[in-house]
Amino acid sequence: MALLRILAAGLLALWLAPPGPLRAAESRPEPEYQLKAVFLFNFAQFVEWPARSFRGPDAPLIIGVSGTDPFGAYLDNLVTGEKVGTHPLVVRRYRRDEDPTDCHILFVAASETAALGPAIARLNGRSILTVSDIETFTREGGMVRFVTEGGKIRLRINVEAAKAVDLRISSKILRPATVVTREKN
Amino acid sequence: MVNATTTAVSTRRNRLRAAGALAILWVCAAAVLPGQTLGPPLPSPATLKKMSLEQLMDLRVTSVSKRPEKLSEAASAIQVITGDDLRRAGATSLPEALRLATNLEVAQIDSRQWAITARGFNNVFADKMLVLIDGRSVYTPLYAGVYWDVQDTMLEDVDRIEVISGPGATQWGANAVNGVINVATKSAKDTQGSLLVAGAGNQERSSAAARLGAKVAPNLYYRVYAKYFDRGDSMRASGRNANDAWHMGQAGFRLDGETPAGAPFTLQGDGYNGSLGQVGPDNIRVNGANLLGRWSRQSEGNAETKLQAYVDHTHRRIPSSFTQDLDTVDLDFQQLRQIGSRHDLVWGLGYRRVQDDVINTPANAFLPPSVARQWFSAFVQDEISLSKDRLHLTLGTKIEHHDYTGFEFEPSSRLAWSPAPSQTIWAAVSRAVRTPSRIDRDLFSPAIPPYRVAGGEKVVSEKLIAGEAGYRVRVGPGLALSVAAFLNRYDDLRSLEPLSPPNAFPVEASSDLRGRSAGAEISADWHVFPVWQLQAGWTELRVHSEPTPGAGVVRGTRDSIARDPNHQFSVRSRLEFAHAWELDLSLRHVATISTQNVPGYTEGDVRLGWRPKPGWEISLLGRNLLHKRHAEFYTPGSRRELPRSIYGKFTWRY
Repeated sequence: MALLRILAAGLLALWLAPPGPLRAAESRPEPEYQLKAVFLFNFAQFVEWPARSFRGPDAPLIIGVSGTDPFGAYLDNLVTGEKVGTHPLVVRRYRRDEDPTDCHILFVAASETAALGPAIARLNGRSILTVSDIETFTREGGMVRFVTEGGKIRLRINVEAAKAVDLRISSKILRPATVVTREKN
Repeated sequence: MVNATTTAVSTRRNRLRAAGALAILWVCAAAVLPGQTLGPPLPSPATLKKMSLEQLMDLRVTSVSKRPEKLSEAASAIQVITGDDLRRAGATSLPEALRLATNLEVAQIDSRQWAITARGFNNVFADKMLVLIDGRSVYTPLYAGVYWDVQDTMLEDVDRIEVISGPGATQWGANAVNGVINVATKSAKDTQGSLLVAGAGNQERSSAAARLGAKVAPNLYYRVYAKYFDRGDSMRASGRNANDAWHMGQAGFRLDGETPAGAPFTLQGDGYNGSLGQVGPDNIRVNGANLLGRWSRQSEGNAETKLQAYVDHTHRRIPSSFTQDLDTVDLDFQQLRQIGSRHDLVWGLGYRRVQDDVINTPANAFLPPSVARQWFSAFVQDEISLSKDRLHLTLGTKIEHHDYTGFEFEPSSRLAWSPAPSQTIWAAVSRAVRTPSRIDRDLFSPAIPPYRVAGGEKVVSEKLIAGEAGYRVRVGPGLALSVAAFLNRYDDLRSLEPLSPPNAFPVEASSDLRGRSAGAEISADWHVFPVWQLQAGWTELRVHSEPTPGAGVVRGTRDSIARDPNHQFSVRSRLEFAHAWELDLSLRHVATISTQNVPGYTEGDVRLGWRPKPGWEISLLGRNLLHKRHAEFYTPGSRRELPRSIYGKFTWRY
């Protein structure tokens, strides 16, 4: 009985005083985009860029978002204070008239579906890992496509496209992914 | 002086009241925080960042898993236990996991035996509950019911357990009378990489499991696993141990792939071997193996064809009782087809053959010792959309032919109405049967005449007509509620008929009881915050049985075949806090089982989990903590008690 009382008191205490991190719950994107943001964070760690992609050892590793941003502040909070090697992680958003050529990872939002081909072509062989959930993405030359199957997120990766611009994708990413080519995806 | 005291007290009281009101406001405000969306909340960003890509890919981002995916299920009392629910409950066995389904009665009898059913008539072999593991029936045709001690799998690889209370015979066939439990493991595609689990405790004395998953070709994945556990004794009422400690080893594999034409297929199998303690000279020995293949194909015109086949062998030697070898072959064919925009038609054919060989002892005998039996079945079901996305009617029936009882019909009709996307109101009327098992027809004691207990052809199928209704609603962003109520009428329930009354023996098995039951199941799932989830369930149940009018004298009449508590209640809290710590609390209350004089009890579990780095998890589990020991089932003489237990577990994924 005594233990029961302690349990009840414990529950009540939790109820009355939710711990601090709970406040961060405000303005979260949909779970789907929370998870995709975490995937972007993982890509930053398990992809190797050629040294020339960074201006210096302390230069940031930039995660870019083009089009209508589905992540909101969640992505910024996720990477704030995080580093990959000596490179701090930062998020940049690009308007349609901006050239997203200074980033390392580029997430192309669904709003860009119509102008996808030219948008990818504009990157012009730079070492940028392109990521999107647009269905035609890998067919149009993109590298990583998010696919939602059975409520879970899957990866389809065009390894050849990444290799062509000197990006090395770790087996940690490739192992659970499906490897595709531009023709067969 | 008096006045001053009163004022002080009332001020304090006011302050308390104000604090209480504030607390309630805080909770209400928190519950409607903006920006939270439908669907299962994900772990906190800090936790997500520590997870491996495989683990991230295993998280569901839409609430598909908790919502019934088929209309026929939407109009039923279904509860879904996810793989993560199992992990958070610290379940070490399937029966333990089933405590998470609040629409089930789950009673642990001793170290290895469990009584599990929905909607009443519980027993060590609950004969009105069908259980399937990855589409393979584990309901034994010897004893009607399930040998829970040999039903296991790698629990980390369980995708979901669907628990349907209420008849499911139209789809699943005979014996799905009071409910269906459907255990589904993950596709091998979702269990890539290595997994090691090791644990130790005072009841779950030692356990270890390992799984390895890999990709063999672009569209072909496999996993292999092996596990072992050693579980300690339950206790007698006197406090002495009951000599029922047991250990078991199991290994298995699963292969998932797609043919070049894009048709998914699965090949899987398991084998186990164990030694179960019992009072007497020697332990019970069990072993078994199964192999299952499944293939499906999408074809033109929105049609899908599914084919499944399996073989299953089980062996059980109970010293001084009997030895059984059971071989099952099962084939199942299904086709789904959309006709026009209103009809979803499913039809199927099934065949099962069992070869049962028993070695009898002088005390009891299954006669004849060796039997081969066959089932044929056909079913058709049409989901009709009466008003798009709003009103659906499902009509269907199964027709089966059994060697013992001939043709059986199991029709049902279900109506589901969704006045809004977040709400469903449903009602159903169904018929289900439990066909006789060998224990009903073939068991004689002693092995040669004159028999004190005799089987025979007087045992016919038990029949149920069930009426059900329910309501399911999602309130705001994080609260889901479900209510179901039912009224059941049973005929031809199995009974024992004294052959020379008033003497108690000899008796002959017959079908001279009838029964009624009524009840309600309520469950709630509330994501108070993304990191805090509360789940609660409450079940009310009344079961009554009586001799069929006009039948002879029947032994064990009134409520003796209903061994059910009138109500049960449970609540769980799942909390995740900074730096990947998890605290899970659960409390359950089960009322008295009056026909067995089992006192009602309240018990609680606590789990503390910690993920120090990606892929690592350490957890500590306290089970049945509120009492030194307690009993859940059986009459006082043969009853066993379960001690408080502690268990530590280490999991490593790579």
